[in-house]
Amino acid sequence: MSPNRRRATQFTIERLDWAPWIETIAEIGLSEDDLAAVYEQAPNAKGSPYFATLALDLPALVERTGLFNNTMRSPGGGSNAERELAATAVSRLNGCVYCASVHAQRFVQYAKRPGVMDHLLDQGVDAPLDDPREQEVVDLAAKLTRDPAGLTADDIRPLRDMGVTDLEIYDIAQSAAMFAWANRLMQTLGDAVYPD
Amino acid sequence: MLGDVINHFAGIAPGSPLARLREQRPETLRHAQGSFQALLEPDDPGGVSREEREAIALRVATLERFPDVADFHRDRLRQLGAQGDRVAAIEQFPDGGDVPARLAAILRHTDLLTTSSRSGSPEAIARLRQAGLSAQDIVTISQLIAYMSYEIRMVALLRAMGGRR
Repeated sequence: MSPNRRRATQFTIERLDWAPWIETIAEIGLSEDDLAAVYEQAPNAKGSPYFATLALDLPALVERTGLFNNTMRSPGGGSNAERELAATAVSRLNGCVYCASVHAQRFVQYAKRPGVMDHLLDQGVDAPLDDPREQEVVDLAAKLTRDPAGLTADDIRPLRDMGVTDLEIYDIAQSAAMFAWANRLMQTLGDAVYPD
Repeated sequence: MLGDVINHFAGIAPGSPLARLREQRPETLRHAQGSFQALLEPDDPGGVSREEREAIALRVATLERFPDVADFHRDRLRQLGAQGDRVAAIEQFPDGGDVPARLAAILRHTDLLTTSSRSGSPEAIARLRQAGLSAQDIVTISQLIAYMSYEIRMVALLRAMGGRR
């Protein structure tokens, strides 16, 4: 648990930090050897308060890390930019200020178009986008977030009609589904805070 | 044997186009299933019992309106020895009759997080602690609740891609 820092409640593309509301793996009285064994299995738990918190359930963290990393990056298929667009749209819709900031930055890194993220973060997922393909990516991500039981082939069709392959759709939508998980986890165990 | 849980609920047959699509991403296939096992079939359940884990999964599937996923977890809960009135109380929580205070706190948190992803708070964590959950238990139930939101969305996606409701 960290001392009180100023909570970030507004969506921004600027860098934010995350602070847990519960103990991290480094704060529960493990011996140095036991802690080193945790870090060997979950190197990301060293230096990141988020992963250090998740390391309290180590097998779950190890599987989730493998899933997350391979969802966001894998050869071919959905572009990095479109995976990040889906991640940011879902985070915006789910209210995860921290996740939205991180993945908006990554979208800009790949797509080089900060205006898309300014628009999405300011206006939300229902504000129309200029690019029709990006619009369909955001629409699919939003539908999957809001009403998974109501998702049908009609929600996939616009992307297929544009020539987007099933592997691309799968990669993009896997990213959207991953953020149903990530957003809930981050927002139940701690808070987005401004960097010191 | 259930096999891959997402393929099972999405109705994906071995060798079908969607099975082959998922196999093009072997790492996400493996770790999604590994997450199911780590959270619902852990080698060492630690402070969160198998019954509590199945109750969470049943509750998320019920709230998200995935009846076949709910059926699966209801059966597993019964196999673990839960009686009919307890199962009904979980499915109809908080109006379905009394459950122990610790399970009620877990279900309240499940509902909170499933219906509104932004509803976590230090107060919600404090309520779980008052009900006897450790920091480890809180991480485990949070992972499981959030994982279930992921799982049912993967099932929804693959059903839609296969033209199946």
